[in-house]
Amino acid sequence: MAAIAAVHQEFLDHGARVFGLSSDSPEQNAAVMEKLALTFPILSDPERDRAITPLGFADENDPRLISRPGVVILAPGGEEVWRHTGRDYADRPHEDILLAEVSKLDLSPTTQGLPVIGEAVPGEKAMPIEGLPPYLRGAKFAVLALRGRHRSLDDEFKDDTKVYVQRVERYLEALSGVEERRA
Amino acid sequence: MTVDFTVLNAAGQPWALSDHRDAAAVITFHRGDF
Repeated sequence: MAAIAAVHQEFLDHGARVFGLSSDSPEQNAAVMEKLALTFPILSDPERDRAITPLGFADENDPRLISRPGVVILAPGGEEVWRHTGRDYADRPHEDILLAEVSKLDLSPTTQGLPVIGEAVPGEKAMPIEGLPPYLRGAKFAVLALRGRHRSLDDEFKDDTKVYVQRVERYLEALSGVEERRA
Repeated sequence: MTVDFTVLNAAGQPWALSDHRDAAAVITFHRGDF
């Protein structure tokens, strides 16, 4: 979320608005939007029956009725032109890939109003923002340790860990932008 | 495939994708509770 927010204006410059979506309640999404000072909305599909399931992102293996991580790009008019379905919670495409796909549409710049936010109520498991940097650094070094421990594994494992570490570093950098947006 | 749906915004109000047909849309799906 914070990494996408860091390049939100670039998406608008390429003619695309950004919308997050989860099965969390509007109150939980409001809390995340406040926490990360997002300039785009997170929308709520609490029963997964409006967008998450119809678009094929429902995680049937998860009893909490949540969405798989994923991205859909729609052209003006609503036609789907690109999608990514994450294998797991650590699998998300680089923002540059999304920007490259949007730029192929060759659109004029657009604008996006500030999102509407109601009462904010964080979920019970929601992590406070001050907990995110140590959490991400811990994840990064755990992956690096596993990479070093399993050097004999094939290139797919090395590539996967490299991409994950780069993503975590990007998230850490994006968190610094949260304070800037709040200011 | 043309995508259309109405969900809720962060104030609990209906939010329709059809109100945003004049631009491209990047919709990111999240597991939530983050």
